[in-house]
Order: sequence, then C-alpha cells, then structure tokens
Amino acid sequence: MDFKDYYKILGVEKTATADEIRTAYRRLARKYHPDLSKEPDAQSRMQEINEARDVLGDPEKRSAYDELSNRPHAAHDFRPPPDWNTGYEFSGGEAEESDYSEFFTNLFGHAGRGQTHGRHMPGQDRHARVQIDLLDSYQGATRTITLQQPVIDAQGQITRQERTLDVRIPKGIREGQHIRLRGQGAPGLGDGSAGDLYLDVQFRPDARYRIEGADVYGTLPVAPWEAALGASVTAATPAGTFDVQVPAGSQSGRKLRLRGKGLPSEPAGDFYLVLDVVLPPADSDKARQLYETMAREMPFNPRQRQGA
Amino acid sequence: MQPTDVLIGRLLDDETLTLEELARACSVKPDWVVEHVQAGLFSDGSVTVSAQRFSSVDLRRARRMIHIERGYDAVPELAALVADMLEEMDQLRTKVRALDPKK
Repeated sequence: MDFKDYYKILGVEKTATADEIRTAYRRLARKYHPDLSKEPDAQSRMQEINEARDVLGDPEKRSAYDELSNRPHAAHDFRPPPDWNTGYEFSGGEAEESDYSEFFTNLFGHAGRGQTHGRHMPGQDRHARVQIDLLDSYQGATRTITLQQPVIDAQGQITRQERTLDVRIPKGIREGQHIRLRGQGAPGLGDGSAGDLYLDVQFRPDARYRIEGADVYGTLPVAPWEAALGASVTAATPAGTFDVQVPAGSQSGRKLRLRGKGLPSEPAGDFYLVLDVVLPPADSDKARQLYETMAREMPFNPRQRQGA
Repeated sequence: MQPTDVLIGRLLDDETLTLEELARACSVKPDWVVEHVQAGLFSDGSVTVSAQRFSSVDLRRARRMIHIERGYDAVPELAALVADMLEEMDQLRTKVRALDPKK
C-alpha cells in the first residue's frame, strides 16, 4: 500500500498547530463537500481529507503517525513495522471504517484489537450509494454493486477486499430511499453480529423524465393544430404506451395526468404529460404560405398580456 | 456469500428504524438522537422519542448533520440549518435536472 502524507493532503506544514489543521480541513471540506462540489473526484478527496483530519486532529494518532513518518519508509509498498505503535493507545474512531484507506485501517483501524480478544461487539453499519434507472423502479431489477471491505487476514493484518453483491431493487422505490441489507455491514468482533448495509438509492439522470417523489413528469410534444383543436395522441411512458386525449385550446405547459402511472410504490404515483407545442418549420413554399395565411387571417397577438 | 446470490433487502419506510438502529446507522450514541429530536432539529418530535420510528429522510438528515457538526464543530442548530438548505437544494436540483439534464 502507499504511504499517505496527511500533511500534504491537508496542505499544512508538519509543524502546524491544531488550529491550523482545523482551518485547513474546513477549507478543503467546503471545497470537496459531496453535496456541493462539482469536482469529479470530490467523494474520494473528501474521504482522504476526513482521514487526514482524524489522524492529525487527534494528538495520540498524530504523535504516532509523526513517529512512523520520521522513520525511513517507502512511498509505495509500505508496510508498518510491527512495533510502530508501542506506547500508544488510540480511541475508537466514530467514522465508518469503510470510509478509510487501507493505510489508515492498517495503522489505526480496529485500534487496540489485540486487547479485544474474547470480546464480542457488533459490526458497524455501512452505507453506499447505488444509481439505478427509472425503469428499474417501474419493473424491479437486480443490480450488482462493488464495495471495498476491510478484512483481517490470518496474520491479523487488515487488508481491503473487493466485495460484489447482487441486490434486488424493489419495484416502486423512490429516489433517496434506502435499502437495508441486514448483516451485510462490517463483521462483528467475536460472536458479535455483523452490521447492516444501507444502500442510498439515486436515479440516473434521464433527459426524458423528471421525478418528484412517486410522481413522474414527461414531455408530450404536440402539433399546434392538435393543441388548438384537440386530438387523440399516443404517449410513451415507462409504464407503457397510452392513447391520451389532448383537450382543445391547450397551450404549452398544460399537464395531463395519467393516474397511477407514476412509480408503482404504495400508493402509486401519477404520470404527468407536460404538453410542448412544437411549431412545424417554415421550410417550404407551402409551409410559408400557410403561415402567411394565418398571419393575415387570424387576429392574434401573443404579446397582448405584456401590453404590446 | 457467493456473488451469484441475490440479496433481498428491506425498503426503509416499509420498515422504519428504531432510535437505537438510527443511532447505530449514524455511528452516534442514542443520546445524540434524543437530544436532536427533543430540540426539534429533525423528525416531527410529535411522539415520545424512545417510541419514535425513523425513515429514510431522517437517516439522510441525521448523517448530514453529524458531518457538519463534526467537521466544523458546528452547534446543532447550525447543522440543522445547513441540512434544511441541502434538502431544499436537492429539490431544486431535481427541477433543474429536468430543465437541463446535463447538469
């Protein structure tokens, strides 16, 4: 594994005070906050920054880390010496272990695990995000997710292993809901039960639809004469294809509701077709002639409400 | 666990979390949840906290608040204010995405 330079990650000197470390952390945490940042690597940077803060912000861990980093060490393929933490006792971290790098979990993860022999503790709950398509919610689906999981090997060392899970996505799931997988979190200590895994479900952006709770919105393009005179048109939705009646005198933005054709949750949402009146191009003599006839014979001022 | 096994989880909201389960899912002590509910910072606070059940919305909000409190040494009220704004931003982003899916 690579040696992590936590000072470099936070952009501070090795002599930085606790206040300087706190300030540097906050500055970077604001920049890479996963809810706000547009940086493509925001999630991983945030984990790195959190990890650096957890080490450098804790006097015991920082002191042990400083001692370790002052010893000659390889930047890559780093292995901590067996006695490196003699004399240090780390308090348990509150963050999720899955958020930490292999470097961190090797040094500080399961801190004091030598003293936990014979103890039984439940494993921590873990969290992961999973992106699904809108259609997955309409039909239900099975999705494969890959997680990095810390595991203790036969020598008592912690390594990170990739773990693949096939998960059933329940029909009708809404964005932001969580799927709880009991016993799929971190393993417990001794006879302690494994924690749970929470999957935070997000929909993959789809240009055709907008989702609000269990209701789904889609655009229904119509010709000017269909909107003006009324028409029966065919609309494609994730729930299937439907014939819908466009009422005469409709304008762009008018919503037609297909009751119960939104997400099939309990209760089912509605599907809204938002009318979009599309003008035919005036790209032929005939088309231009028709537009000119309308201009001449239809008293219509679209800017009347603006006082024009 | 063989990769071919399909795991079937429970949808939060079909089942809800107890006070202890929420605390464990957020890696905090139950007291943290009790204090924040009693202060009206999340959940509606209409039921006795120990009997209250918590949803997906509560789980996300609690995790966000904890992140703000720990990362910035923020007082709970400030963390709740940030969580309020992030929730509103989620809604606005959904609407913006509908107007311009590239965002």
